[in-house]
Amino acid sequence: MSVENCTVSCMLIDCDIHVGYETLRDLVPYLDGATAEIVEQSGTNGLGMPSYPWYHPTGWLRGDAYDRDAAADGVLMVGQTLDRVQAKVLDPFDVTFGILTPDEAASFAILPNAQLGAALCRGYNDWLLAEWLEPEPRLRGLLVVTPQHPQAAAAEIRRLGAREEIVGVFLPGAARIPYGSPVHDPIWRACDELGLPVAIHTHFEGVGIAGHVTAAGMPDFYTEYHALTGVGMLGHLASILCHGVFERFPRTSVIMMEGGLVGFVGLLWRLDTAWRACRTEVPHCVSPPSSYVHEHVAWTTQPLEEPPDERLLAPAIEGLDPCRTLCFSSDYPHWDFDDPRQTLSRLPAAWTESVAYRNAARVFSLPVAVPA
Amino acid sequence: MTESQLRVPLVDAPAPGETRMLELAGHEIGLYQVAGEFYAVANRCPHRGAPLCSSGRVVRGIGLQQEIPVRGETPRLLRCPWHKWDFEIDSGRCLVHPRLRIRRYRVQRERDELVITLKHPVRRPAQRPPAPTAQAVSSSGGSAVGPSG
Repeated sequence: MSVENCTVSCMLIDCDIHVGYETLRDLVPYLDGATAEIVEQSGTNGLGMPSYPWYHPTGWLRGDAYDRDAAADGVLMVGQTLDRVQAKVLDPFDVTFGILTPDEAASFAILPNAQLGAALCRGYNDWLLAEWLEPEPRLRGLLVVTPQHPQAAAAEIRRLGAREEIVGVFLPGAARIPYGSPVHDPIWRACDELGLPVAIHTHFEGVGIAGHVTAAGMPDFYTEYHALTGVGMLGHLASILCHGVFERFPRTSVIMMEGGLVGFVGLLWRLDTAWRACRTEVPHCVSPPSSYVHEHVAWTTQPLEEPPDERLLAPAIEGLDPCRTLCFSSDYPHWDFDDPRQTLSRLPAAWTESVAYRNAARVFSLPVAVPA
Repeated sequence: MTESQLRVPLVDAPAPGETRMLELAGHEIGLYQVAGEFYAVANRCPHRGAPLCSSGRVVRGIGLQQEIPVRGETPRLLRCPWHKWDFEIDSGRCLVHPRLRIRRYRVQRERDELVITLKHPVRRPAQRPPAPTAQAVSSSGGSAVGPSG
């Protein structure tokens, strides 16, 4: 398939563009005094966040997304500036809206010190608004919050969730407790009040206070980890559906980001089978679990699975109701970035407009003119 | 088809492990040296179209010898900047996908120069060719077809 022969002929919404500070100290102007003191004075060189025990053997970032000469020890997102995002994503692909997702800031949700995590989230969200969302009208953001401190998370959602630039709430795939558990109800309630979706994005599984990547134990290699990241997200979706979250909070929804697609098809089939026999255990899940997908669940495309025979791809994911639920994402600037021209050309033409922008516009309530 | 050529003085040729970016008839080309030979390849990854040469890395890679991982002796692999797939510079072969190869161009040594030759379709008359440069020489009919800006 020649990418030069493919164009994105319609509007495009990119649901997963990662941005981040170069170091945590960049947040200091946006932090309360006590948290700033912790960030600046901890350890020997300031506060550090927990991170993966696996190191990417060939580089986390797209090689053309940063300046190698500017790379320095301790710097995370080298040169990840607004003008670079504009030049590499927004302008060349004529992106109507780009949804910004966190990079290291996702780790605030798996810090054992929940109060510190909540304070860092407040600083990060204010930084995101001031440095990215207010200067660039094509960008929208997701609030980073602390599931390990649901009350603080709910307060943060209510503090900023009504802002036009904020279109949802970000939770990492890594968690101590699956997100359908009633302990997270304050988060769902706040999202329900504001009509915001929750984006669950694979991040930091097996790190900090989060559970293992899988029940098999700790993977040895990054390669294993990367192929398994969707497993935790399967757990979150099963939890959310079986706890009847969308029965209690019907104005919210979830969008599953970067956890793969094919695995979710099998999960939904198995959940429905289990529900038929076990529904007395989960009476709050009033309908078959998969029946909530159409109104309340969406997925992002990247990393779009690469079967050895491309013809296998579309049938393998039809069970997700993709014309209604699938949303394009690039994952810029990470190494497994997907070019929108490639992604859309690999899916049936009948899905193009839905995947390129229609579904995302609906999920994130974006002001685009969507033909009936 | 027509041919365009680009001459590169040997003194400007890349050392092993280095990339020299060139442009010929609107095509971006990476020039490399492996084991004393020079190779010119297209700046496009055949997997997903990434800028393979301008943003990729020349690496030695790791292979197995008698089940022991060993580092390659010389930098002879080109690693894509996006998905990190490796390609042999000398053969163009992709190490992780048997059907993929990078596009290569002929490189000849002529005295103290390297001559890179690109074959490409003849441009239609309606299309205005890019401005010629002193380094570009066409071998088809005498009109120069040079690299575009």
